[in-house]
Amino acid sequence: MAAVAPSRLAALTRMRCEIFQTSYNPTSVRTGAKYLRARLRGPSMINYYPEELTVARFNRMGGGFKIQDWDEYERLADVEEKKRRGKGAPKKAKSAAESRRMSRKR
Amino acid sequence: MPNARVLRDIKARHGVNANEILRRAYLYVARNQTLPAQVRFQAQLQLNTFGRYTRPSTVKNRCTETGRGRGVISEFGLCRFQFRQKALANELPGVKKASW
Repeated sequence: MAAVAPSRLAALTRMRCEIFQTSYNPTSVRTGAKYLRARLRGPSMINYYPEELTVARFNRMGGGFKIQDWDEYERLADVEEKKRRGKGAPKKAKSAAESRRMSRKR
Repeated sequence: MPNARVLRDIKARHGVNANEILRRAYLYVARNQTLPAQVRFQAQLQLNTFGRYTRPSTVKNRCTETGRGRGVISEFGLCRFQFRQKALANELPGVKKASW
C-alpha cells in the first residue's frame, strides 16, 4: 500500500474543516479563541453565598415601615459611652504630617 | 453579619462579574498570536491596569455558614465541621453517617 502524500492529507483536513465549519489551523497557532468560547463565570459566582435578611437590609428595602435595629442601637450606645469616658476612636489625621504612622517610623 | 474575609470575597465576586467581558476581550487580543506584537503588548498592559478584585483567581469558595476558607466541602459549600453538625442534625438531605 502506497503512503498518502502529506499535501493530500492537508487538503483532506482543510476540506473537513470547511464541511464541519471548524477553523483550519494546521500549525496550531494560538488564536485566543478559548477566552471567547469559555462560558462567563461571573453570573454564577455572585450567587455563591445565600442572601441573608438582616434588619438593616430590611430597613433599606423601603417597604413602608422599619424595624428597630436593637444591635445597632446597642453598638451606638456603647460608642457614646466609650467617648464619654475618653476611650473613643482617635481623631482622623487631617494631613500626612500629623498622622501617627509618620511619627512612629522615625 | 459575615466576617471580613467573606465580605472581601463577595466584593471580589462582584468585581469579577462586572469586569469579566472586558477582561475576556483583552485576554483574547493579548493571547492571539496572529495579531501584531505591538497590539498584543498594549492589551497586556491594559490587563495589568485592572484591580486586584477583578481577577477570577481571587475568588475563593468559603464556608457559607462560618466563612472558613479551608476544609470546605464544595458540594455543600460548608466546612467540614459545619457539614458534620448539619449532617448529624439531618439538615442535609441524603447525607447519613456511615456505620457497618
